[in-house]
Amino acid sequence: MRIDYISGNRAIAEAAIASGLKFFAGYPITPSSDIFEYLAEELPRRGGYVIQFEDELASIYAVIGASWTCSKAMTATSGPGFSLMVEGISIAVMTETPLVIAYIMRAGPATGVPTKTGQYDVFQAEYGFHGGLPIPVFAPSNPQEAYDLTIKAFNTSEILRTPVVLLSDASIANMFGKVLIREAGEIEIIDRRSIEILRKKGCEWSLDDVYEMKCVGDGYDIYVETLTHDEKNIYRPTTDVQRRLMWRLYRKIINNREVLFEYSFHNYGNKRCRNMIITYGSTFSSVSEAVRELNKNEEDFCVFKLKTLYPINEKIFYEKTRDVDKIFVVENNVGLYVKEIRSILRDKDVISISVIDLEYPDPDEIVERVREWL
Amino acid sequence: MAVAVEHPLDKYVRTEKLPTLWCPGCTIGIVMTSLLRAIDQRIREGLLRRDQITFVGGIGCSARIAMYVRFDSVRTAHGRTIPLATAIKILRPEHKVIVVGGDGDICAIGGNHLLHALRRNMDLMIIIVNNMIYGMTGGQVSPTTPLKLYTTTTPYGNPEKPLNIIRLACSLGANFVARGSATHPHILQQIFYKALGKRGLALIEVLSSCPEIFGRHIGITDPVKSFMTLRDKIKVKNNPSLDESEYDWEKGFVIGVYLDKDDPGYIDNLSLLYKSLRGF
Amino acid sequence: MRIEIILSGRGGQGILMLGRILGKTLARYTSYYVAGSETYATEVRGGDSRVDIIISDNEDEIGYVRARNADIAVFMYPSLMKNLSRYIKRKAKVFIDTTFIDIDSLREYDWTIISEPYTQISERIFGTSRVANMMILGHLIKETKIVDPEAVERVIREEMPSKWHDINIRSFRYMIDRK
Repeated sequence: MRIDYISGNRAIAEAAIASGLKFFAGYPITPSSDIFEYLAEELPRRGGYVIQFEDELASIYAVIGASWTCSKAMTATSGPGFSLMVEGISIAVMTETPLVIAYIMRAGPATGVPTKTGQYDVFQAEYGFHGGLPIPVFAPSNPQEAYDLTIKAFNTSEILRTPVVLLSDASIANMFGKVLIREAGEIEIIDRRSIEILRKKGCEWSLDDVYEMKCVGDGYDIYVETLTHDEKNIYRPTTDVQRRLMWRLYRKIINNREVLFEYSFHNYGNKRCRNMIITYGSTFSSVSEAVRELNKNEEDFCVFKLKTLYPINEKIFYEKTRDVDKIFVVENNVGLYVKEIRSILRDKDVISISVIDLEYPDPDEIVERVREWL
Repeated sequence: MAVAVEHPLDKYVRTEKLPTLWCPGCTIGIVMTSLLRAIDQRIREGLLRRDQITFVGGIGCSARIAMYVRFDSVRTAHGRTIPLATAIKILRPEHKVIVVGGDGDICAIGGNHLLHALRRNMDLMIIIVNNMIYGMTGGQVSPTTPLKLYTTTTPYGNPEKPLNIIRLACSLGANFVARGSATHPHILQQIFYKALGKRGLALIEVLSSCPEIFGRHIGITDPVKSFMTLRDKIKVKNNPSLDESEYDWEKGFVIGVYLDKDDPGYIDNLSLLYKSLRGF
Repeated sequence: MRIEIILSGRGGQGILMLGRILGKTLARYTSYYVAGSETYATEVRGGDSRVDIIISDNEDEIGYVRARNADIAVFMYPSLMKNLSRYIKRKAKVFIDTTFIDIDSLREYDWTIISEPYTQISERIFGTSRVANMMILGHLIKETKIVDPEAVERVIREEMPSKWHDINIRSFRYMIDRK
């Protein structure tokens, strides 16, 4: 265990190593490249491989290939690169391939401002691939969370045999913080090969819809099927099999919402929480300052920070918002994730505060925009 | 009543997945059989282990070979076989990793990956079954469709010059480059046998006849006639020169081994670089 | 308690290294919470760079990783000075490298100015401008006492390649030991 002062990107790379990362494939793209570069230096020394491929398509498929040798594998990218990867993510969903994608958002659309931040891609990360089966999305808001959630992302991908997105952004990439770095042995690292043990001894995860994974080199007849397949992995183009497969893949994630949903709640010493700000990612930084300002006038604000964007545990939402009068959703985009929240809190006043800012949104702007509604 | 007799190659086939989806008269089956014979020969000679063979297939009729063989088989999206196979080879270097696909799968949508695998001299065996058309999707133009030919997406004739895969592969640094034909299975088996023993990249283009789709476009749908039409265009040569690789439907095709060298492959270079780092 | 620090310079002057050494020292050898951010132009050489460091004994106070009311600032180059001045407190301790910044240009600010031609001194004493950043760090710590100098030396040893230890530590000690 050691304490360091590192950036969000560095925290992701450190946590990936601690999680047992064996293979990284990528294509350079700002602001994700320093994850790639740091791993390129560190991982080979520890027996792993870091390879630059010809594009993001090749990178995601290389990660899939690596994962089918039962090696932990990941890539890192940003919006335009993720757009190229979505084809492969859908393949990974269908073939139930564990992998982690560090998605460092930058200002878009198109090439936008490559070095600057934004939270424009929350939906691309969650729903961007064909097939309509969302995958777990974790969203850190500082380097310590980047570290912890990367470990969680790897464990989740291994246990549930699913691709997982770690959604960060350009601000967190260059945000520094005191990070508690734990070495392998000090953290619970789960491997897909230990799922059966986990199943037998019982655990907090719901594993009914997860099958054991056999890899290349385990014998001579593994078969990875991208077509609709039954429980025996045989291609069956029937509605019945399609339904069973789709619901199983959907349940596999959603039935684990209680384990997967991470958040933090900040009431800043207030007894009640009349006004709540819901936020995530780097915007939390500005919101925390705005709330200090708002609470100076006894406005009674608290903050509900989401660290998991999918799946959501609705129960926690109901609990936390029961006595709240007004809910503000602050995000650095045109107001996207607020739609998800509105679909859960249908009987609440949910106000969208969208602050588009290439840097950390100005806390004063948030204060001003929120006060308009008080 | 017919008596079920086990085929000697059945042990390498996922018989539960049969019958294949290939059309009557399709020659992909010949390609698969020649390949399995070559693999069987290597296994019997103790030069290859059955549990160290991985097939990677994408989408298309020929890619289905990966679906029917009983080895480790990984299927993936259209065109994306090579990067996936590359990662498997890096992490399982003892495996013989074989990529199978058609001209569309590997040369069109997967063209960029092919280019870079060749440049890297990546230790893969890449088999391109070239029927000069998109068969599974119903007869669209491919990068190897002959000039001027009617296809469903070039109804006024194909304006594009077809790709000479052999020339591309030879120019980019593969260790082994050969062209075979489904109409000459013995030669094909020999080529596969050789390729299985190579380090670095071994690329084999296999010409095949497709009576159902390509045949319809050229007006020859009878399987035997279709087969014989291709067969008549094939010239067999020992060590043909690169100039003889010319790809022209009218002039015919020369089959044989165009390039056979033994440069270090990607895996050799990588392990050499990592050796000092890791001390093993 | 929330202490805010702004460091600014031009690419190549070592502002990022200065920030990282200070941040790591605070993180590893004090019980404070510490957070911060780096802003620099990655696409061009010699662009402006800015580092913010926030220190607090209360975790809730370091959520916002930008200085809004800096207690301490360093300017090694003038380009961002005007822009950043609105984030600096009155009477804040501001360290100025007069190699690049005209001392007369500072009259408009109500700061406690501590200035030296750090880069020039570094060139004269150590034969290179590259350790001027550590000289400023030494001066900053001497004047503000936010952290034990010994701890900084330890971090320099932990973070830099060994061939650079000696010159960086000597430069770091220069202002501290000067009578």
